[in-house]
Amino acid sequence: MPNLRREDVKNMLASYALRMLILLFALLGLAAGAALVAGEPLQPPARETLRLRLGGPASAPPPLADVHLQNFSQVLNLIEQHYVEPKSAKEIIHGAIQGAVSTLDPHSSFMTPEEFRELQIETKGKFSGIGIEITMKDRILTVVSPIEGTPAFRAGLRAGDQIVKIDGKPTRNLSLTEAVKMIRGPKGSKVTLTINRPGFPAPKDFTIVREIIPIRSVKARIVEGGLGYIRVANFQDQTDQDVRGYLTKMQQKAAPLKGLILDLRNDPGGLLEQAVQVADEFLSSGLIVYTQGRTPQQNMRFYARPGQPGEDRSLPMVVLINEGSASASEIVAGALKDQKRAVVAGAKSFGKGSVQTIIPLEDGSALRLTTALYYTPSGRTIQDKGIEPDILLKEPEPTDAKALQALREEAMERHMRGEGITDKPWNQPLTTADLEQDQVLKRAVEILKNWPPKIVAQQPAS
Amino acid sequence: MKPAGLASFWRRRFLSLLLLAGLCLALPAAGPPSAPATSGQDSYEALRLASEAFYEIGQKYVQPKDEGELMQGALRGMMNALDPDSSYLTPEEYREFQRGGRSAPAEAGLELIYKDHLLTAVSVLDHGPAARAGLKPGDLILKINGQLVRNLTTQEGMRRFQGPPGTVIRVQVVRNGLPKPLEVTLTLEPLPPPRLTLQMLKGDYAYLRIPYFQDDTPAALAGLLRDLRRQHPGLKGLIVDLRNNARGSLEQAVRTASLLVGNREVVSTRGRKGGESQVYRGREQDLVFKTLPPTVVLVDQGTARGAEIVSGALQDHGLATLLGDKTFGLCGITQAFPLKDGAAVIMTVAAAYTPKGRKITGHGLVPDVEGKKPAPGEPASAPPSLEQDPWVMQALDHLKRGAAMVKRS
Repeated sequence: MPNLRREDVKNMLASYALRMLILLFALLGLAAGAALVAGEPLQPPARETLRLRLGGPASAPPPLADVHLQNFSQVLNLIEQHYVEPKSAKEIIHGAIQGAVSTLDPHSSFMTPEEFRELQIETKGKFSGIGIEITMKDRILTVVSPIEGTPAFRAGLRAGDQIVKIDGKPTRNLSLTEAVKMIRGPKGSKVTLTINRPGFPAPKDFTIVREIIPIRSVKARIVEGGLGYIRVANFQDQTDQDVRGYLTKMQQKAAPLKGLILDLRNDPGGLLEQAVQVADEFLSSGLIVYTQGRTPQQNMRFYARPGQPGEDRSLPMVVLINEGSASASEIVAGALKDQKRAVVAGAKSFGKGSVQTIIPLEDGSALRLTTALYYTPSGRTIQDKGIEPDILLKEPEPTDAKALQALREEAMERHMRGEGITDKPWNQPLTTADLEQDQVLKRAVEILKNWPPKIVAQQPAS
Repeated sequence: MKPAGLASFWRRRFLSLLLLAGLCLALPAAGPPSAPATSGQDSYEALRLASEAFYEIGQKYVQPKDEGELMQGALRGMMNALDPDSSYLTPEEYREFQRGGRSAPAEAGLELIYKDHLLTAVSVLDHGPAARAGLKPGDLILKINGQLVRNLTTQEGMRRFQGPPGTVIRVQVVRNGLPKPLEVTLTLEPLPPPRLTLQMLKGDYAYLRIPYFQDDTPAALAGLLRDLRRQHPGLKGLIVDLRNNARGSLEQAVRTASLLVGNREVVSTRGRKGGESQVYRGREQDLVFKTLPPTVVLVDQGTARGAEIVSGALQDHGLATLLGDKTFGLCGITQAFPLKDGAAVIMTVAAAYTPKGRKITGHGLVPDVEGKKPAPGEPASAPPSLEQDPWVMQALDHLKRGAAMVKRS
């Protein structure tokens, strides 16, 4: 039973006391409410290299000199006495922890209580709000889409609605993050949005009661010709259940399913446990991934177990990756590739092979600390190297900022019209015309239709 | 040392430290009426938090970590939490600082700050190596010689772009609007005196560019302005361009402003203790124009430090209209405090205020007239000539309409 295994893994992790997370390294900190941010502002690319030496000679750190501690307290006192304005001790200590952590690898970081809360929302896959995606369009706060089945959807909000006010407060000078904060709130409470819509003689108030809104990380579509397409946006609680759910439904609808595309492009990762579960959906035995840390309790091996609908090797499978596929995505792609369960196509993945543990601190802040490295079944580290695709598929690259902006806007418009690849219900087949908006996906469909493929980039056995 | 040993070590150490720091921090709280926000309880909890964090890192990080490096990172982080002008200096950095401050043999011509964990170019010195390599104000420095920029301070960030002449530095920068980071190579050069340019525009208007300040700059400016007064007695207006000028000390600023405001107040500084504010005035004998022709000062987000002091004084005395964008707000008064191990911290101890008492430090100056924004998609690069510089033309229009004298009350 799949649920049993889920429990097994949970127990393993419980012995750890803390949950392990594999997380995207975002240079600018947490992009608050990533699901809500479309066309987000510039973020420095997070492709960083890092060499972690594993199990090298354990050079004992020199005993900490008194002078370090004296310095620490001396600097605190100097700030207290001489800094131009009073500063709270907590703010300074947060700075100190932040500074100490930033001498570690780039995936280790410090989270303020607020950032930590946001992270918990993201990984739990739910938050309390009304269920809309919003963006800044021409500097106006605009609804991208109401999520089906949510209070916003039932209240009749529509894609393209302009949010003029939130609880009477004009949104003109609000940032997207601030707007998200105002719209979210405790379950059961109310928020009033003043909406401008073509056809309204005057802006109209919508008062909506907040609920717990699940954030779905998995979307799926049937593809014309009996194929299935599953898109995983990130690995959070219940990702594996959603994957299995769609797979089962698709197998019933298009029996027999002739092929499956698992799309992990731009999937920054998430929970290690979920990566293991998702890989297991398609594997019946063997190693999925193993981790090695400084202490024995951080050394873990994860194996696949039989009994899932996706295990049948007669179901041809293509996994799509690109340079935005990181950590948990790389574990799944790596395991399916190493076990020859799927053909991996796309571009080389990000290359993040370290595991972070979230360590909550007593004031609600938290450390995100690199505690282990992980390896694919064949013993390869993903760190720096990434997963090489079996078949290289290039996405058309925007030449400059203008072209990039135009592409983003085009995608946004399509999404607002509900015409994006994953905007329609899963059982409405993707047509050849639909596939034109995603050239890589189109190629993946062609690969499945001409199965088995001639592998272009053969990986040397290691 | 075994992790467990380290852990108990930290616990033990911090307990004694707690008592010590608790006492010290509690003292000033009982002092002046402007009681600091920190109470003894706060600092106790804060220190307990620090010890918890260091303990976890010592025990669980994927590889053993050098304690000294961790503590240095912590001290850097503490100072960075204050403001971009506050820095931690290692003993080596402090020795260098004492030897000659910022006069490096060669540099890249960049004015950088480390803020929100990013190394940002506030200004790029005109004609310098960085400017020639194509760097622009507002650029974020992501990598230096292939190494990711992390845990720096403003001081340390600046030092990375100083060294012997001819040193080649590779930088990767991120700029808003570029889809990919930009790779740039630049070669360090000795910094020449700033190229002050005075140019006449049609209709007897003058344009003066001050790219940055050095000790000799006020004297050089005095010469230029006196020549201008002599040769153009009918001067109708003056445009002073202080955009992208983030290098200039308080003293250089006071001596420069003195040329235009005479013996009036230029700036004042006030520290934590309040009350004892230090007022800096110009000198009557420096004054070049008995009556200053209508003047517009061009400012932008790259206008900082000395240039802000000059701009604020002219604005508050009703001598000039500020045109452009909000200035950076970076002119705190800093002081170095040596630590017991030879390291030091540099800390902002006082803020700068305009003659009318507006705080510049951390706030910046708001222009009287907002500069026209370039049309979207239009390159924001420096135009080849003054006539093609939109803000210069806007300033000229402003002067021609005779609206330059702003009555402030």
